[in-house]
Amino acid sequence: MTQLLEITGLKKQFGGLTAVNDVSFSVGEGEIAALLGPNGSGKTTVLNMISGALSPTAGTIALAGERISHLAPHRIAHKGVSRTFQLVKILPSLTVAENVVAALAFRRDPLWGSRATERAHELLAEVGLAGRGGEHADDLTYIDQKRMELARALAAEPRLLLLDEWLSGLNPTELRVGIDLIVSLRDRGMTILLVEHIMEAVRALCSRAVVMNVGNKIAEGPTAEVLADPVVISAYLGEGHA
Amino acid sequence: MTRTIIGFVLVGLALLALAFMPTQLGAYGVGLLLGMTGYVTLASAWALFSGPTRYISLATVAFFGIGAYTVAVLSEAMPYPLVLVTAGLIGLGVALVVGLATLRLAGVYFVIFSFGLAELVRQLVTWYEVNVTGTLGRYIFLPISATEIYWQLLGLAAITLLIGWWISRSRIGLALKVIGDDETVAAHTGIDISRVKLALFAISATIITLVGAIQAPRWTYIEPAIVFNPTVSFLTVIMALLGGANRLWGPMLGAIPLFLLFEWLSANFPNHYSIILGLMFIAIVFIVPRGVVALAEDLFKRARRKEAAQ
Repeated sequence: MTQLLEITGLKKQFGGLTAVNDVSFSVGEGEIAALLGPNGSGKTTVLNMISGALSPTAGTIALAGERISHLAPHRIAHKGVSRTFQLVKILPSLTVAENVVAALAFRRDPLWGSRATERAHELLAEVGLAGRGGEHADDLTYIDQKRMELARALAAEPRLLLLDEWLSGLNPTELRVGIDLIVSLRDRGMTILLVEHIMEAVRALCSRAVVMNVGNKIAEGPTAEVLADPVVISAYLGEGHA
Repeated sequence: MTRTIIGFVLVGLALLALAFMPTQLGAYGVGLLLGMTGYVTLASAWALFSGPTRYISLATVAFFGIGAYTVAVLSEAMPYPLVLVTAGLIGLGVALVVGLATLRLAGVYFVIFSFGLAELVRQLVTWYEVNVTGTLGRYIFLPISATEIYWQLLGLAAITLLIGWWISRSRIGLALKVIGDDETVAAHTGIDISRVKLALFAISATIITLVGAIQAPRWTYIEPAIVFNPTVSFLTVIMALLGGANRLWGPMLGAIPLFLLFEWLSANFPNHYSIILGLMFIAIVFIVPRGVVALAEDLFKRARRKEAAQ
């Protein structure tokens, strides 16, 4: 399997605090990988560096062999990276369809006008928001906002999709639908890196997992093996459980 | 579609009527109309950039003065249309340099910088005139009547509103809304935020420069203290904010009543003019922070909701 995302020696410091310390891992083309770890372990910071929201203190990030670290976020987006945010970010003054059109209009091969509107409605249907494009983004429930955010991320037709706790907060039925949706994205050839706390979803979706704790990578490998690793269990549950 | 056409026809008719106004008015009336159209254009152009980005620029008079000075320096050397084009290009060039250097500044830092820029340009021109040319003031003798100046300003005002209308329907307009809502999302959907801001700043500054250039022959005699007077910047801001900087017609609806009010105040209370201006500034920011147009829309919506509830 060729590697799509390669992260080498990645480090992020905020003043005296080292949030991410010398983390290296890679994600293969067409793979769903999980980035795991207890709260505050630096997972979201890693995603932020991949998407360009933060620039790394040291280390490199490469997409399909091309270095993307230190590029501005809009340039990284044009290279084929899309994401959702841990705390959903909607565009409140726009309608649901316009939220998606915004992503279509500024991707690398932009769509505009009636073609963009049509495509936006297709994408909304795909995430379970068929016929809701005219509503105000502000009026959607939290779950529907998450769906809209995914449609917006998909609008760019990314090579690499970053999902930051996208499944959390869903009820069991919705979780099933969400997992199936992510599987269908992989089947279309999309590579997905997700940060997630719902282990059921991680086991169902991810062939491989990377685990972080206090900024360091502590395990990497096939999901089942990694989750059985005593070091990982003690990081999540404390020393006594290992 | 038909509504757009009707809108354009109505605006066209209004412009035609406005263009005929000078034949019905005396010299004072034409002067008033001219000044008012100038401020309508300034406030509308200012709002093109500052409305959606929420960067309060006090650099209006820097560009306005650059336009006026270009005309003063070049009016004898070149035909008038070429002077206007040159003024516009100089304004554009300065805007691009200044924009590249400063649009990364956030909030209050940008406000202070833009105010400083206006002062810097004024001091530079003063220094140059005193030390190099040896005379502070300049005369502009151009055979252009007040009515002709008014027509040019009317045309520029129409172009400014047309640009505003076009932007609101174009991709750049959507980019501005997204940036206004959430800059992080904007960047992650592929919007080059600095380029969008720079483009808008350049368009806005070029129009403002042209207002200064077109109005210059009206003064006959200019010097830095006249054409770089910071009051111009403050008036532009307060007019745009009163009407609503985020609406196409907002700045115009703010500029007309305030221009007339300030004319009356400066004629009747010349000594207290600055105090009243300051008080009005505070009142507008506190009472109608989003402008009267947005306020009217809110009231209208509330009334309709009440009707629907009954």
